[in-house]
Amino acid sequence: MKRAGIIMIIGSSMLLGLFVFPMWNIRLGAPQYPEPLGIDIHVNGLRGESEFDIQNIDGLNHYIGMKTLPKPDDMWEFSVFPKVVWLMAGLGILIGILGFMGKISPVLFLVWFVMMSILGALGIYDFNLWLVDYGTDLDPNAILKLINPDGTPMQYNPPLLGHKKLLNFDAFSYPRTGGILLGLGMLLSLVSFFLGRKSQD
Amino acid sequence: MKTKIFKNTLFISALAFLFSCGQAGDRGGNGALSSNIAEKVYVAPGERDEQYAFLSGGYSGNLTVYGLPSGRLFKEIPVFSQFPTSGYGYSEETKPMLNTSFGFIPWDDLHHPDISQTNGELDGRWIFANGNNTPRIARISLTTFETEEIIEVPNSAGNHSSSFITENTEYVVAGTRFSVPVPQKDMPISEYKANFKGALTFIAVNPEHGHMDIKFQLLMPGFNYDLSHPGRGKSHGWFFFSTYNTEEANSLLEVNASQNDKDFIAAINWKKIEEYVNNGGGTKMPAKFAHNVYDESTHTATSTMKNEVLTVNPVDVPGAIYFLPTPKSPHGCDVDPSGQYIIGSGKLSANITVHSFDKMLAAIDAEKFDGDAYGIPIINYDDVLAGSVQSGGLGPLHTEFDGKGNAYTTFFISSEVVKWKLGTWEVVDRKPTYYSVGHLMIPGGNSRKPHGKYLVAMNKITKDRYLPTGPEMEHSAQIYDISGEKMELLYDFPTHGEPHYAAGCDAELLVNNSKKIYRIDENNHPYAIKSPAEARVERDGKEVHIYMSTIRSHFTPDNIEGIKVGDKVYFHITNHEQDFDVPHGFSMIGQRTSEILVMPGQTKTSLWEPERVGVWPFYCTDFCSALHQEMQGYIRVSPANSNIELSYTLDGDDI
Amino acid sequence: MKVKILNSLTLLVLSALIWSCTPQKEGDSSGETTSAAETHPMGQASVVDEVSDPNILQVAISSEPHSTLVAAVQAAQIEHVLVNAGPLTVFAPVNEAFDALPEGTLDNLLKPENKEDLATIITRHAAPGSFDIDALKREAKKGRKIYMATGDYLEVIVDGDNVSVGGAKIVGTVPASNGIIHVIEKVILP
Repeated sequence: MKRAGIIMIIGSSMLLGLFVFPMWNIRLGAPQYPEPLGIDIHVNGLRGESEFDIQNIDGLNHYIGMKTLPKPDDMWEFSVFPKVVWLMAGLGILIGILGFMGKISPVLFLVWFVMMSILGALGIYDFNLWLVDYGTDLDPNAILKLINPDGTPMQYNPPLLGHKKLLNFDAFSYPRTGGILLGLGMLLSLVSFFLGRKSQD
Repeated sequence: MKTKIFKNTLFISALAFLFSCGQAGDRGGNGALSSNIAEKVYVAPGERDEQYAFLSGGYSGNLTVYGLPSGRLFKEIPVFSQFPTSGYGYSEETKPMLNTSFGFIPWDDLHHPDISQTNGELDGRWIFANGNNTPRIARISLTTFETEEIIEVPNSAGNHSSSFITENTEYVVAGTRFSVPVPQKDMPISEYKANFKGALTFIAVNPEHGHMDIKFQLLMPGFNYDLSHPGRGKSHGWFFFSTYNTEEANSLLEVNASQNDKDFIAAINWKKIEEYVNNGGGTKMPAKFAHNVYDESTHTATSTMKNEVLTVNPVDVPGAIYFLPTPKSPHGCDVDPSGQYIIGSGKLSANITVHSFDKMLAAIDAEKFDGDAYGIPIINYDDVLAGSVQSGGLGPLHTEFDGKGNAYTTFFISSEVVKWKLGTWEVVDRKPTYYSVGHLMIPGGNSRKPHGKYLVAMNKITKDRYLPTGPEMEHSAQIYDISGEKMELLYDFPTHGEPHYAAGCDAELLVNNSKKIYRIDENNHPYAIKSPAEARVERDGKEVHIYMSTIRSHFTPDNIEGIKVGDKVYFHITNHEQDFDVPHGFSMIGQRTSEILVMPGQTKTSLWEPERVGVWPFYCTDFCSALHQEMQGYIRVSPANSNIELSYTLDGDDI
Repeated sequence: MKVKILNSLTLLVLSALIWSCTPQKEGDSSGETTSAAETHPMGQASVVDEVSDPNILQVAISSEPHSTLVAAVQAAQIEHVLVNAGPLTVFAPVNEAFDALPEGTLDNLLKPENKEDLATIITRHAAPGSFDIDALKREAKKGRKIYMATGDYLEVIVDGDNVSVGGAKIVGTVPASNGIIHVIEKVILP
């Protein structure tokens, strides 16, 4: 159970990586941008991969009537998500320590994992809602109004995961170090649950 | 008998046709080889060249940037000439760059670019170039590829033996081609001899920011100082100038300056003179000259008029200056990478003269002199001569080096490049040029460490090398591969203006330092605005200042009213893009100046003096974006006595 | 005599043709290979231009009394020197001047292996610079010698209306676009 506790502490601490590293990344490449424009999604806001990328993405997007990329104050997520991460990391470390001392059942590790999974799913759902909104809620007075072959207005939401062609741009959406650490941390909580239960047998 | 000859000729011609190698459509008859050569210069789309070449533009006043081996032109950098392409010399910020003691001079003759060095190797910080006509030296940044500084050289005329730099960029050196009275005065031309002076100017370069300042001027006898090169390695601390017209003729030099069997190479121990000057030596004399500096943070140049220069009389510093006799009006004066050999090319001679630095020092020690000229000792020719290259060519001009013990000399009259070995003086190879080559350039070929893979020959005569374009044509250059024992002609390419000298270097030296954008948060231009929200129009009497922003694809503001006939309207355009390669341009109908091209993060100012009542459009001159054609605006010009209020809007709203 | 020269020229041309048709070794990228440009040693002399004033070479070619000189220039392959921007002053010996050389001298010089010697002898008849008759007289008056393209100096002597250079009397002068041709009646030998 001691070992399970330590792994739980490590696993839940990995969430704190979200405050250092970006969680997700969206990259836009085109012939005229041999160095692609990139947005790093941090738990507390968006940052350009290179210094002026956000400004330049906004500059391009205004032609097709997309809203400018949100500042931290524009979205509640950027103030709530950090609190949730702090809370869950703290909770995980706490039950890890308690587990290390043998004062709780390893089932709590599983409970933590399930809570994290639900929150994560909600987060991804919310992220997708934003992507769709961002890509489809277009200014009716947009300079360029493009229509799909079937007559519907063209939408520009980047993919949730993977690659998508947006006009002349290639959009790529993949987790970055923060997101990977989050996944690994959750995996470790599951490992600590199984280890804990095994040691109790 | 004539008929017989004629028949013979016919027969030969017929044979020639029959014999024409049976390879129809294959010019030169060696297809496999030609394609091999093509591969050597072919830089596929998207690929980049191995080396940069900076070719002087001569009478264009500008410097052109090419790639090697492709010969592709990347940029024309305006230096001494107004340049509508960017607005250089037209914008309010850059007009001071072309200021001189004679006033605003919009042109010069740019001859000899030279890249800055550290320990005798190219360091890629700056490139220097001389203006030949109204003597000036320019410093061009190799991060922005823009001219940053121009200093006028007083007491000089025909600033030709310039702008060569010492091996730690301590000095950029400027020599006078046409000796003149110093100071200038009203006197008979026929009294030239013994009265005119040739000023050799040593301009100190600040190691931090490159700013130039005249340290001293050496007032030499009134010869023509033609070309020069610094000593390097063992001869660091010395500078060598070729001279002609040691006859001191003032008319029909074609004949009268070709009388002496030998002219001189002047060897100057500048370290000794520097020490003399640092200890208070030299005479300050009044001299008016302009010093123009462009500040990258304010995007603005300022011109300062200086009033005094420190001069040194050669005889006051004994042991610092010697003359090395050199046959037949030497033109090129080149020093090999080791610093041992000083090469003088007598331009009417068939041979190349090579002096030895060691022998020179020994001769000075032993006082092996053959008299003096105006108090400057002349070293015995035989005691300084290292050897002479029996070239078999005619009219040697310039020599560069490959760092592997070989020298390459151009021959104007026999129109060829000759490769020869330093030390043995034997000719290794010769290749024709098309036609009549002047300078040649091997990247780094005048440094301690040449980047010797290609040689560029810059020819003076083009004739039939390209599709004809009327009587006036671009000059022509040729690239040779010099990596092997024999030179191999690879490629012809046209060059802009008249390239005299050139400088070149490996691409790696510059690519990573080349600036992409100017940061708007570091823009300290007094009329810059940090965001479009700060755009405004202010009136100060007859002067109107328009603080205008550009961003894809509009001007802010784009409708302005309240301008009156007789106003002086300054458009201060700040480009708020922070995206690589998104400049915006600006031009106004009826404006008596050029457009301006504003780089991302930069501010430039264009002056307009409206003369007619009406509503006048302005527009972006650079195809900046898909909606470039929409990037325009209007200015309403009212009569001088009108009381229309000043107003400025974007999309009908105040800003 | 003339025929003989022409015959040897014919031989030269022929051998040049045959040589130039020798197939290149495939894939031989060493320095030994000859690039396309080098099979064309005439350089600027190959420029086709029927509009400009004729240059020294063109004037010489069109002058029957100088056919030997032209043949010699071609044999020495120095045509391009005579079409250069110059300015050049060429002292051009007439055919009879070559005929007056010791028996066999010219034939010997025209042999391909003596190309260099022939080039030197001809180049010795060219001076960098533009010297018309008046300029030559001025040089003589001032006691100055003419520097020739080989590095030698030739003395100018004026005797009444006669001017001679290096011992050869000038019998006529023809201006050319890139300099001046003085016709002389003797080959100037060192």
